[in-house]
Amino acid sequence: MLNIKTIDDTTINERVYQLNLGPQHPSTHGVLHLLLKLDGEVVVAAEPIVGYSHRGHEKMAENRIWEQFLPNTSRIDYLSGLIYNQGYCMALEKLCGIEVPERAEYIRVITSELNRISSHLLGIMAFVMDIGAFTPFLYGFDDREHVLDLLERVTGSRLTYCYNRFGGVRNDIDQEFCDGTRRFIDRLRGRFKDYHNLITENIIFIKRTREVGIITEETALEFGVTGPSLRGSGVNYDVRKNEPYSVYPEFDFEIPVRKEGDVMARYQVRMAEMEQSMNIIEQALDNLPQGPVRSHVPRFIDPPAGDIYFAFESARGAVGYYIVSDGTRIPYRIKVRTPSFSNLFVLTRILPGNFIADAIATLGSIDVVVPEIDR
Amino acid sequence: MGPLSEFKKYILEILTGSKSLVIGMGITFKRLFMPIVTVQYPRRKLTMTPNFRGHIEAIYFDDTKSHHCVACGLCVRTCPSHVIKVQGEKEKAGERKYGQKYYIDFTKCSLCGLCVDVCPEKTLTFSHEYELAYLSRWDGVIDIMRRLEAVTK
Repeated sequence: MLNIKTIDDTTINERVYQLNLGPQHPSTHGVLHLLLKLDGEVVVAAEPIVGYSHRGHEKMAENRIWEQFLPNTSRIDYLSGLIYNQGYCMALEKLCGIEVPERAEYIRVITSELNRISSHLLGIMAFVMDIGAFTPFLYGFDDREHVLDLLERVTGSRLTYCYNRFGGVRNDIDQEFCDGTRRFIDRLRGRFKDYHNLITENIIFIKRTREVGIITEETALEFGVTGPSLRGSGVNYDVRKNEPYSVYPEFDFEIPVRKEGDVMARYQVRMAEMEQSMNIIEQALDNLPQGPVRSHVPRFIDPPAGDIYFAFESARGAVGYYIVSDGTRIPYRIKVRTPSFSNLFVLTRILPGNFIADAIATLGSIDVVVPEIDR
Repeated sequence: MGPLSEFKKYILEILTGSKSLVIGMGITFKRLFMPIVTVQYPRRKLTMTPNFRGHIEAIYFDDTKSHHCVACGLCVRTCPSHVIKVQGEKEKAGERKYGQKYYIDFTKCSLCGLCVDVCPEKTLTFSHEYELAYLSRWDGVIDIMRRLEAVTK
């Protein structure tokens, strides 16, 4: 029998009642289940219950060859699938010592940053819709559509890209893609003014997000929060800068940090990060080297026995692949460290004492992807 | 804080609130005069990009007047979802095998493209089909050789 009475029972009295936020609730992203203990409108205790979309990706990896895990990687976090794809390929390339052509590295960075923009656009707009603004959601999706069209042009699909391959990428990019990306960046820069007018300077949005759901620096570090949620709490940590991988050290970009730690700060970090992503893409397009996009790699790779941990920055935080190989064509173990899991559980600390309406805003600002929590 | 400043604050709040409202409505109003971004689907269709990944299909080659499949079975082994079935036969003993039947259960395909990458004869490619509604789950099992025949005829 499932025992979900994990919240301390001493808090329960006649006034306190229990509310199941989810698994099918319009304000939860996907099948997230939050067990809230409420005293009137005030949250007394919060407990996320995970496992509704557990698909066993890590176990699946253990009975298929290394290449066959590639489509799984873009389904762990379906909103930034390309970044996960890139990370898995880079981890195995490091383990096997496969050289990647420079052009392929640049293309990986361009596509990953485009993917980050699309993920942040969806994250922000879904969050804004959670707290009641429907119009920006449609505008954001209009812009996201352009990113998806660009990515479809080069990868062939729109959401679950299986684009990176060991030793490079699948398709080369063409001039039309480069021009289209530049046009899109110009367009999005113009649209930012609208977003700031519609959202950032909107009085209702400010009142619902300022000083709400504050994650202090200590709490963030204690719970292992990463990504925009950590940088919104004043910690300057980004895997792209702190433990650089791929060709990121060649680009000049900043890591946006806000000190406040509230919902507004996390929103601002995401907005600023999109601008930085656009800077990176522009620099990558300017310095795009010529050459092949895929090095010569055996049809089925045989990594040497050994293990490797590879960390990279997805749109939600630091992701890590811990890969153990026993020298065969089948992985011995693949462990995926996903940021949403740590980011979600910080809610148990910051929700108590807040109103339930603020709980929705906080949940939206953390920007969790449920299949990524459960894997 | 006296009642006067309270009142002032109240009025200010109303003013800033209305300003936000006007700005928001302004953006919506501006949108009225912008071109429509949606495509009226059944009446207007988009052309797929050359890299679009539909289900796989065999490429027609002029030298054999058919495909180049040798029924090696690499695509069958690489497929993560085990949805491909290939059958080949030899016309005479000692000759090369020749792909005779090729089925893909597209309902379970995850469109990773590993089969296209692994093909040693480079005879597989992605089709540009995207209208994929079926009445039965068996309609999702695509006979690639029959598709190729339909193209060549």
